[in-house]
Amino acid sequence: MPMKLLKTETEKELVVKRILHTKNYSLTLDKTLCTGCEICKEICPKEAIEIKTFPKVAGEKLKHPIIDVDEQKCHFCGICSSLCPFGALKVRVDGEHVIPVVKTESFPELIREIDVDTAKCDVQCVECEKACPLELIKVSVRTPDGKEIMDTESIQDKEKLTVIVDVKKELCPCCRVCELKCPYDAIHVKKIFHGTIRINQEKCPSGCQDCLDVCPITGALYLSEDGKVYVNELYCIYCGVCKIVCPEEGALELQRTYIRHTPVHSGAWNKALEKLTSTKELTKELQTKGLTKVRESVGKRLGFGGS
Amino acid sequence: MSEEPRIGVFVCHCGLNIAGVIDVEELTEYARTLPNVVCAIRNRYTCADPGQEEIRKAIKEHKLNRVVVAACSPRMHEPTFRRCVAEAGLNPYLFEMANIREFSSWCHPSTPKEATEKAKDIVKMAVAKVRLFRPLKSMEVPVTNKALIIGGGIAGISTALDLADMGFKVYLVERSESIGGHMAQLDKTFPTLDCSICIEGPKMVDVSRHPNIEIISYANVLSVQGFVGNFRVKIRKNPRYIIAENCTGCGECRDVCPIEIPNEWDMNMGVRKAISVPFDQAVPLVYTINMDYCIECYKCVDACGARQAINFDQKPEEIELEVGTIVTATGFDIYVPDDNSLYGYGRYDNVITALELERLILAAGPTGGKVVRASDGKKPKVVIFIQCVGSRDVNKYEYCSGFCCMYSLKHSIQLKEKYKDAVEVYILYMDMRTHFKGYEEFYRRARELGVNFIRGRAVHILENPETKNLTVRAEDMALGEPIELEAELVVLATAAIPTKGTDEMARILSVTRGADGFFMESHPKLKPIDTAVDGVFLAGACQGLKDIPYSVSQGSGAASRAATILSKPTWKIEPIIAMVDPDKCRNTRVKCGICARKCPYGAIKAPEGEPAEVTTAMCHGCGTCVAECPSDAITQMHFTDAQIFAQIRAALEENPEDKILGFLCNWCSYAGADLAGTSRFEYPPNLRAVRVMCSGRVDRDFVMEALRLGAGMVLVAACHLPYDCHYISGNEAMKVRMEALARMLEKLGLSPERFRVEYVSAAEGVKFADLNKEMAEQMKSLGKGKIKAENEKLRPMLEKMLSRKKA
Repeated sequence: MPMKLLKTETEKELVVKRILHTKNYSLTLDKTLCTGCEICKEICPKEAIEIKTFPKVAGEKLKHPIIDVDEQKCHFCGICSSLCPFGALKVRVDGEHVIPVVKTESFPELIREIDVDTAKCDVQCVECEKACPLELIKVSVRTPDGKEIMDTESIQDKEKLTVIVDVKKELCPCCRVCELKCPYDAIHVKKIFHGTIRINQEKCPSGCQDCLDVCPITGALYLSEDGKVYVNELYCIYCGVCKIVCPEEGALELQRTYIRHTPVHSGAWNKALEKLTSTKELTKELQTKGLTKVRESVGKRLGFGGS
Repeated sequence: MSEEPRIGVFVCHCGLNIAGVIDVEELTEYARTLPNVVCAIRNRYTCADPGQEEIRKAIKEHKLNRVVVAACSPRMHEPTFRRCVAEAGLNPYLFEMANIREFSSWCHPSTPKEATEKAKDIVKMAVAKVRLFRPLKSMEVPVTNKALIIGGGIAGISTALDLADMGFKVYLVERSESIGGHMAQLDKTFPTLDCSICIEGPKMVDVSRHPNIEIISYANVLSVQGFVGNFRVKIRKNPRYIIAENCTGCGECRDVCPIEIPNEWDMNMGVRKAISVPFDQAVPLVYTINMDYCIECYKCVDACGARQAINFDQKPEEIELEVGTIVTATGFDIYVPDDNSLYGYGRYDNVITALELERLILAAGPTGGKVVRASDGKKPKVVIFIQCVGSRDVNKYEYCSGFCCMYSLKHSIQLKEKYKDAVEVYILYMDMRTHFKGYEEFYRRARELGVNFIRGRAVHILENPETKNLTVRAEDMALGEPIELEAELVVLATAAIPTKGTDEMARILSVTRGADGFFMESHPKLKPIDTAVDGVFLAGACQGLKDIPYSVSQGSGAASRAATILSKPTWKIEPIIAMVDPDKCRNTRVKCGICARKCPYGAIKAPEGEPAEVTTAMCHGCGTCVAECPSDAITQMHFTDAQIFAQIRAALEENPEDKILGFLCNWCSYAGADLAGTSRFEYPPNLRAVRVMCSGRVDRDFVMEALRLGAGMVLVAACHLPYDCHYISGNEAMKVRMEALARMLEKLGLSPERFRVEYVSAAEGVKFADLNKEMAEQMKSLGKGKIKAENEKLRPMLEKMLSRKKA
C-alpha cells in the first residue's frame, strides 16, 4: 500500500490524514469550535492552511470564515493545534491525541489562566454561565454529600452548599467576559493575547457590521446608536477574524503585542510570534529573555545585525 | 596527393550471409570494371585471419594504395580493417567499407537479382569515395587519469573499488543521501539467502575509506563537456544543511526533531525524522535536513551543541571535475502500479509491491521484520504473489524484468521458513525463469517447502470491504479454466524500469537509449559495456536489468574498460574533424560567424574581421558547420563535399528515378538501418545510402545534386528530436535547413513526398523497414513519368544553383 493522503469533510468536522503501512497521522478540525480566525493560518510553517470566506447574503448575518487544510502540505507538526485559542484543532498519531512539537519542546502552549474562587460564589448566581459567549461554563451546586441540586430556592441551609464552576479550559480563549460579569469578583482570567484594536470611524462604512457578525465574543464589538460598530477592548481576544471580513482597507486595525505561553525557546516559535505580532515585539521578547543565540539567528534571517 | 589511386576491392561471402543472396562472383567481376580498381578478390570470411592476410598480401603485390571491403556494416568491422591495412603499411584512412550485408543481402533475401544490383551500386559508391580519400593522421589527446562514476549502487561501487585499486582517482557521484542503491534496501539475497546489507555494508565502508575514492553524495550531474580522456563535468552538491566534516553521525539531532516524515527508503511504509539518515548503515554517515518538512524550530541546533554541524544557510554548491572516463551506473526504479486498476494497488490496503514486502520482512524495517497487513496489523495467513505486473506486457513494458521470479521465490521461501505452516503461499506466474548458478535449485527448495505454483495470469483482484481480504481471479493454464483464490495479502512483482532521470542523463552524456528506455550499448554482443560515446561506459541495470552478481561483474567489466583509457598517457581520436580554409572564409569581409553559432560544441571561433578557426581537440566531427557554411570554406576530413558528391553521382549513374538516395546519420538512422538488416526485416531495394556522421552534415547541395541527377526520392534520416542527437543539436540545424529547402523545392514543382526528413533511432529497425516500404510504394504511385517530368522542370534551376560546385 502506498502512502495515502486523505481529506474528508462533514458538517461538523474536517479531517486530513496521512496513512502509512505502519503509522497514521490525522489532523481534525472541529468546525463547531472554529471561528475562522487567522491564527492557525498565520503560523502554519508549511502554509497548509487557507481561510475561506463566505459571500454576504442580503438580510442575513455574515457567516464567519472557515479554515481549509491542504492534505498535501500538512506535516502534522501540531503547531496549529497548540496555538488555536478555541481548541478547534487536534493532531492524532495512531489515534492518540498528541502535539508532536510540544512533546519535543519545540513549541510552547498557550497559558490559559482562569481562577475561580467558588467560596465567593452565591449559590443562586449563574451569571458567568450566562455570560460565556462560547458556552464553556457550567455552574452546579452540590450538597456536602455531593448531590447536585437543581432548585436552590428550596434549600434552607445555603451556607453548606458548595458551588462548582466547571470551565472547559482547553477551549477557552480567555475573553474575560465572565470575570467582568461576575458580581462577586470570583473569577479571574488573564488574557492570552494582548494587543490593540481600533476602528477607524471615518473609513468604516456605515451600515456594515460584518465584523460584528463574525466576532465570536459577544460584546467585544457593539453597534452604537449612530449605526457604527465600536470596540470594547476589555473583551477582545485579538483573534483577528474581524479583520479578515472587513471590506474596507484600514477601517479596522488590529495589532497583537504579546502572547502568554509556556516557556520554550525555539526558532519555530520565534517565527510564529513574529507572524502573529511584529518583528518589534519579537525582538522585545527575545531581549527580555536574553536568548542571544536565537536572536542572532533570527537577526541573520531578517538581515539585520547578528554577529 | 598526386599518386594515381590503385584500388583493391575485397568481396566477403560472410559464409552464406552475403553469398546466399548476392551473386558474389558477378559482384567481384563488376568491381574489376570500376575506375582505378586494380584487383578484386572474393573471400569466405574477409574478417578472419586468412581474409585479412589476403588483403595485406594484395596491398603489397598490387601496390594498392586504397582498399574497399564489401562486407558488413562499418559500425561492425571498420576498425578491424583499418588496423589490417595499417599493418600492411597503408594509412588506415585510405580504406572504405561497402556495407552489402546489413544494407543488401540481409534485407532483400527474396530478390537476389535486385540485391546484387544494389550491392554493385554500394561498391561503386565506396570506390568513388575511396578514390578521393587522403591519408589522415589520428590525433592524440592527453588523458586525465581520473574516472567519474555516476550512481553508487552495487554496480557503481564495484567499478569504483576496482578502478581505485588499480590506482586511479575515482569520483563516485550519488544523487541520494547514501551510496548503496537498491541492494541496501533488500533483506536477503537469492539464492544463498545471505543478508544483503551485511555483504554490501563492508563494501560501502571500503569505498568511503579508500584513499583513491571521493564520494560526492546528494549531488547531481549537471553537464558533461569535452571528449574521451578529457571530460569536464559540472556537479551540483545539494545542501544537506549539515556541515559534513562536523557531523559525527551520533543522531542526537534526530532524537529531538519533532517532525516525522514518510521514509522513501522504506517505500513510505515507515517514518524518519526531518533530520535523519535514510538507514543506519548509510555511507557517508552524514545527516540531512529535509527542508520540505522542517519547521525550523532549531531543536537540532541545540542538540548538536558545540559540534556546530548544522547550518541552515547552506546553499547548493557547484563543482567542476576533470576526468578521463565516465562510467554510468544509474540503475533502475520499481514501477508503481497505481495506474493498474485491475489489481487495486493504492486502493486496497493489503495489495503491496514486492519491494514493500522486502521492507516489511527486513528486521531493520518499519515493522521490525514482522510481515503485517496495513488494514489490521495482523499477520496474513494466505499470501499470493502475482508475477509479471507490468513486465512482459505489450501494453506496459514489453521486456522481462529478469529478477522478479527469483525474488518472489526468495520471499515465499522466507515466509515459509519464518511462519512454517501458519502461512500458505501461492505464486501466480507466466513462466518461472530460474537460469544462472544455483537458481533452479532455489526453485526446487521453494517447491519442497510447499509453495503452491499456479501457472496463469491474474486477471482481477477484488477486496472484501469488511475483512479487507482479497479475491484473486486468475486463469489456471494447467486446468484451462478460471479460478478464484482468497488471500489476506497480495504481493505484486512489478516491473523494473529505467531510473527517473535516465532521459536527462542520456542527454547530458549524449548516450542513446533503446526502445525500453535503458541506455544503449555500443554493440549488443561485442561491446555490451561501451556506449557510442568514446570514454563513456555502462555498468549495472541502467543498460538492462540485472541481478546482483551480474551487476557486480559488469561493474568490474566497466572498470577494466575504463582502465584501458586511463592507463594510457594519451588517446587517439579520429581525425574526422572540420577545417576552415581561411582564404575562402567570408568572415574576413562581412560579419558572418554562422559556423561558430551553429557548432554544438562551441569549437569554432570567428572573431570579427578574421577567418573562423576550429579548435581541433574540441571538434567532435559532426560536420554541421560544413553544411552551414555559406561559402563552402569548411571541410570535414573523410567526409568532404567532393567525396560525398562522388558517392551521390556513383549511386545515381543508372536509372536514378528508381532510386531513393538516403543520407543516414551514423549513430541513429544508419544504426537503425543496420538493425533492420540484422533483424532480417525485408524491404524494397530502392535505397542507396550515404553515411554521414551526423545529419547536421547533410548539405542542401547534396539534396539538390541528387535531384539534379534525377533521383526518384531523397531521404534525410536523423536521430529523434530533441535530445537523441549524438552531437547535441546537429539534427536541429539539419531540420531548420531542410525545412527551408523543402519549401523551395515544392515551389519549384517537386512533389513533397519525394523529399523526406525522417527520424529513426538505432532501435527502430522496424520503422526503418516500414519507411522504405512506404517510400517505395509512394514512388510507384507517383510513376516514373511524373518523376522524370518533374526532374526536367527542376533541372535548370538546380544547375544554376549548383554551378559553383561544378568547378
